[in-house]
Amino acid sequence: MAYTTRQIGAKNTLDYKVYIEKDGQPVSAFHDIPLYADESKQILNMIVEIPRWSNAKLEISKEQELNPIIQDTKKGKLRFVRNVFPHHGYIHNYGAFPQTWEDPNQTHPETKAKGDNDPLDVCEIGEAVGYTGQVKQVKVLGVMALLDEGETDWKVIVIDVNDPLAPKLNDIEDVERHLPGLLRATNEWFRIYKIPDGKPENQFAFSGEAKNKKYAEEVIRECSEAWEKLIKGQTSPDGIALTNTTLDGTDSFSTSVAVPAGEDLKDAPIDKSIDKWFFISGASA
Amino acid sequence: MASRRLSSISQHVVPRQYSTLQVGAKYTNEFQSYVKLANGEIGSCFHDVPLGLDKQTNTVNALIEIPRWSNAKFEINKEIAFNPITQDSKKGKPRFVKNLFPFKGYIHNYGAIPQTWDDPTVEDVETGFRGDNDPIDVCEIGSRIAQTGEIYRVKVLGALALIDDGELDWKVIVIDTRDPLSKQLSDIEDVERDMPGLLDATRRWFREYKLPDGKPKNEFGYEEQFLNASKAIEVIEHSHQSWKKLIQGEVSVEKVSIKNVTLNGTPGYTSSPSVQESIKPDAKIPDDIEKSYFY
Repeated sequence: MAYTTRQIGAKNTLDYKVYIEKDGQPVSAFHDIPLYADESKQILNMIVEIPRWSNAKLEISKEQELNPIIQDTKKGKLRFVRNVFPHHGYIHNYGAFPQTWEDPNQTHPETKAKGDNDPLDVCEIGEAVGYTGQVKQVKVLGVMALLDEGETDWKVIVIDVNDPLAPKLNDIEDVERHLPGLLRATNEWFRIYKIPDGKPENQFAFSGEAKNKKYAEEVIRECSEAWEKLIKGQTSPDGIALTNTTLDGTDSFSTSVAVPAGEDLKDAPIDKSIDKWFFISGASA
Repeated sequence: MASRRLSSISQHVVPRQYSTLQVGAKYTNEFQSYVKLANGEIGSCFHDVPLGLDKQTNTVNALIEIPRWSNAKFEINKEIAFNPITQDSKKGKPRFVKNLFPFKGYIHNYGAIPQTWDDPTVEDVETGFRGDNDPIDVCEIGSRIAQTGEIYRVKVLGALALIDDGELDWKVIVIDTRDPLSKQLSDIEDVERDMPGLLDATRRWFREYKLPDGKPKNEFGYEEQFLNASKAIEVIEHSHQSWKKLIQGEVSVEKVSIKNVTLNGTPGYTSSPSVQESIKPDAKIPDDIEKSYFY
């Protein structure tokens, strides 16, 4: 279970890629990392894409072989989320559960919206700032149902099992008790974070309420099953690279994927305009 | 004679080319950042950089100690000759402010106004509290992140009377005159109009920022209200008068260095020191500074 990262290109450039390695060999962040680190203890693996308090929109590439983490682009330019007052960048360690998929062909019975065609998103609320490509062991606390441009985009709330607060957090109501205001801030952040880019406010299903651990586990199970159908070829992949190095028996299993050697490059500077704070009327500290 | 020279110095409005001279690594007790004056000599950022008050435009000079979204408690060191910026320490270790959720570090470019001083020997008429023996603090609200030691012109917009540990500690709200928003901000109500929530956040931040260190909430004078720009200018002028007494040697306060290289005729006037620059890579910020505190 010793995962490391292999970086190609400098951070904050179009060349930047982070592969996850197992025992020094590149594996797929999407398909090769098991969802459960220890199923009997309900400990899951999470891939950190965006460290807390940062702005670069880094995400697991669905299209590239072995699904490295790359920076999203908009009109050919690197995408950064804007700072929405009073927040600075992302307010959680943000990432995804491996071996999960929100199937765009399925309409969720309660949110009435289709999946967003991505691995399931995760907000990790522990005190340590993570790093891109980190594989964290986490416990599930709850889930919020963001409706982002008409698609269901679940945000599972988790905490690193090694966080000092983890033993005290077992369900969603414990989050409000020990981290008062965090769920409200999470709700606000996802509603308004695209407004500086000229997009409308996002909506949440369930009146913005976070659902509990049990509900979250059900969402995870559905997305895990959807991923299984995907990797077994029972659902059309539609551009998703399914190549993997561990799932012997799948058509996309391969042990001969060429990945360039790692590079230890200095971060490229981020444009100063990203330092700006956007004040959205109605948002509150 | 001395006072005439002083007032002529205060009238410098445009900052000349200031630069910094660093000694030691950031985030260590050895770190010092001195101001270098236009002639390349080291001076005191407290005494040798003019206030530069222009009452037509409500602008002054400001020195930035702490960049927005950072945690290291850098401040003008009153005690050391020529007042370099150093990192405050607690129990012998460099001090960092904690992250008060939802904020990350300081929420403004935080600093001070040169040639101002809150006199600790005099009680404020309104609040009854004594000054905190420091230059007046500024919260610069422009969109750019400033650097420690930067000096630039700012427009005064208002002020908040923080009572910190029983002392009056003015926080003057200002904006970089080069910021695109500066033209449309002239007074405190403009801040609320164009940056909704920032003033409430500022008040909350200063009220609670010491809670993670086990200290009580801070309080505010003037019924917790932000004073407007003209009141803030009065506060600055008053503290400039206090500074004049300090620099003339008319008030004696222990442990405040009044050494300077530009104020001929003052008791602290002397020649510029020779300090060897020694920039070292920044020390690592302790991991526990990543934690957020929730109240």
